[in-house]
Amino acid sequence: MSTVTAPSTSPPRRASAEDLARKTERADRLRTWGWRLAGYLFFLGLWEFSSGRLMDENLLPGPSAVFATFADLWATGEVPSAFATTLTRIGIGFFLAFVVGVLVGMLMQNRWLNGFFRDAVTIGITTPGLIWALITAIIFGNREAGPLLAIVLTTFAVITVNVSEGIKSLPKDLIDMAKSFGVGVLKRNRHIVLPHLAPFLFTGVRFGFSIAWKVTVLTEVFSSSSGIGFEMRTATQLFRLPEFLTWILAFYILALFLEKVVLEVIERRFFSWRTSLKA
Amino acid sequence: MADIKIVNLHKEFGAGADKVVALDDVNLELGGHVFVSVVGASGCGKSTLLNILSGIETPTNGQVTITQEGGPARAGYVFQSARLLPWRTVMDNLLFVQEDRSEPTRQRCQRYLDMVQLGDKGKKFPGELSGGMQQRVGIARAFSTEPDVLFMDEPFSHLDAITARSLRAELHHMWQETGKTVVFVTHDVSEAVELSNRILVFAKGGRLAEDIPMDLPFPRESADPDVALAKAEVFRTFERIGALTVR
Ligand SMILES: Nc1ncnc2c1ncn2[C@@H]1O[C@H](COP(=O)(O)OP(=O)(O)OP(=O)(O)O)[C@@H](O)[C@H]1O
Ligand SMILES: [Mg+2]
Repeated sequence: MSTVTAPSTSPPRRASAEDLARKTERADRLRTWGWRLAGYLFFLGLWEFSSGRLMDENLLPGPSAVFATFADLWATGEVPSAFATTLTRIGIGFFLAFVVGVLVGMLMQNRWLNGFFRDAVTIGITTPGLIWALITAIIFGNREAGPLLAIVLTTFAVITVNVSEGIKSLPKDLIDMAKSFGVGVLKRNRHIVLPHLAPFLFTGVRFGFSIAWKVTVLTEVFSSSSGIGFEMRTATQLFRLPEFLTWILAFYILALFLEKVVLEVIERRFFSWRTSLKA
Repeated sequence: MADIKIVNLHKEFGAGADKVVALDDVNLELGGHVFVSVVGASGCGKSTLLNILSGIETPTNGQVTITQEGGPARAGYVFQSARLLPWRTVMDNLLFVQEDRSEPTRQRCQRYLDMVQLGDKGKKFPGELSGGMQQRVGIARAFSTEPDVLFMDEPFSHLDAITARSLRAELHHMWQETGKTVVFVTHDVSEAVELSNRILVFAKGGRLAEDIPMDLPFPRESADPDVALAKAEVFRTFERIGALTVR
């Protein structure tokens, strides 16, 4: 008897339980965001209060002044054009770093070439981006090669190390399985090797990227004649604090855009099979 | 129908003090409509034999040849573990080993998923299935290519008794209908006696110790006195060779 009644009663009960779970989840998320917003309000408020009261407003312009300057510079087209310049540099430089990094990672599977590249990769990993930014600024001045080379030198090794790890841990059992079924090498690469390497590549890209954009802005501060970093330098030299802070704001917006939007979209696209396991 | 010929097959792993002899001078001919079970203690080279037959491993010495009338023999392999691509759905795992992705191929794959009672799980990822379900996907994958030679490495050992029995019946049915060659590794003497027409007993060190023909008529009911007798005899052989795995 119980088997007959069970299906008719259990669906509404389960639905209400789901409703409840969703409601608590929503309340939870609202609370998280509430605290986050409160944090923003508090620190921005403190800043606004300090400006002109605790410190001279020429030395510490308040957030309202900075946002106003930001709007002005956006309207004149300076912010978008500096953004475009910096983003292009990051794009090209990082693409080169990626190609070099993957190539070296593949070559390092060979025992002799591993010895050949090993210390270069270690140096690449351990040298701070600041050093490369300085060296390339001295050598190349404001020529375009400077920032590009600085990006490649600071990031290729991160990608190399990750690719190398990925190749070392290739799933031999799956590759053997495919061979025993007569699956060809191209199809094996596409459906086993690449999906296996994807998370390693992604980790490399993620770390590499977060280094790359900082180095780019740094080289611009030192030696470029365009881009966000260059604008920061100009603003400090002319002692225009609101403008300087505006460019720092632009820098944060750029960082947020690259790290949150771009990388997260990529992650969601390529690793949907993992998230579906967690759900 | 495929013919398998194994001549002076020898396989070693490692070198020096770590050297392990997995197969020791095995000679064997498997021709015609054969369902051969390979039994023996853990570590006596059963999986290694299948890996060499399927081309995954290369022998240290000797040769294996698999010939098939009209072209190369196509092989299917059910591994000791499921070996599914974790980033592909169940259906895509089956399609991965097919020559094409046409509609008839899809229907064939669906049919074999139905056979292992996972017809509704095609869109799931392997990580969403239980271990036994994953093993059944592995079985469906090997069947779905409708191979000439089927290698199976303890395919039913992780399954519950009822599912295992129904899949044994499917396997036997398919073998009788299609005339495939099946090489079947198992620890289960009853399973070996009920399914095969030949039983190979391997001893420690990878030696082929005993080659027992099984000529009883099918179907072989476990209640049948002849079948019970045959099992008892295989057991005795095991004990004599010391091939029984204590589990
Ligand atoms: N890739 C390998 N490298 C080194 N040694 C191996 C390798 N594969 C198998 N061996 C060794 O060869 C021997 C035979 O292994 P195999 O896997 O064929 O045994 P098995 O009969 O299938 O055992 P089980 O019943 O436990 O599955 C074992 O001693 C094992 O340690
Ligand atoms: Mg084995």
